[in-house]
Amino acid sequence: MKIHPYLRAYMAGIVVPTIVLVFLLTAFIIARFGCHVPIPIELAMVFPMGVVPSLFGIWNMFHLWLGPHRHLPIGFHGAILPLILMPSGYLLGKTLGILKLTAEGVLYFQAFSVPYAFFGIALACGVIAYYLVWKYLIGFFNQVLGIA
Amino acid sequence: MTEQEEARIRELLKQSLRPAQAELSRDLSPQMLARLQARAVTVPWFDWVLLGALAICLCLVPSAIPVLLYNL
Repeated sequence: MKIHPYLRAYMAGIVVPTIVLVFLLTAFIIARFGCHVPIPIELAMVFPMGVVPSLFGIWNMFHLWLGPHRHLPIGFHGAILPLILMPSGYLLGKTLGILKLTAEGVLYFQAFSVPYAFFGIALACGVIAYYLVWKYLIGFFNQVLGIA
Repeated sequence: MTEQEEARIRELLKQSLRPAQAELSRDLSPQMLARLQARAVTVPWFDWVLLGALAICLCLVPSAIPVLLYNL
């Protein structure tokens, strides 16, 4: 399989976030319409639904474009992605009015606050999770689609 | 095209094409098994440690989960 390698890289990249999104969306529907959570969480779904899967695909295309001599191992390549996603998520959240910076931490939906220290922990968790996901899952899909 | 020509073409085609093999020349199942075994993933201890650290972090600080879900 030599044709359309970038298309295959994109497809291999979006598989994992697309599957995760189904579960996120289910949890959202249960919370919003089943448990009648008063917070407009649909606003918070914009970033994970709209941006993350495409970015996974583009990031995998970028890995392919770098070639075997220039790219990092796929796990490390994926571990860089949270460093781009977290600031992007923050900017989009601020633009949509989902979150606001306060003295104690980040205030989401004018309802609950997350201390700044938790963001460091979340970033570390994200880097580890992305390293593992990219190394094992996206690496596997790359093999299946004949890219790796 | 006359019948004679058709017969001639048929004859030439028969000569040029090899007869199709109805059965496989060799058993492909060992190759398939070898390929499946080659795909078996071995996870190094370092990755198990990372996975454990991730699970412990998320258990100790559950507030990080929504932040993760939103941002990542």
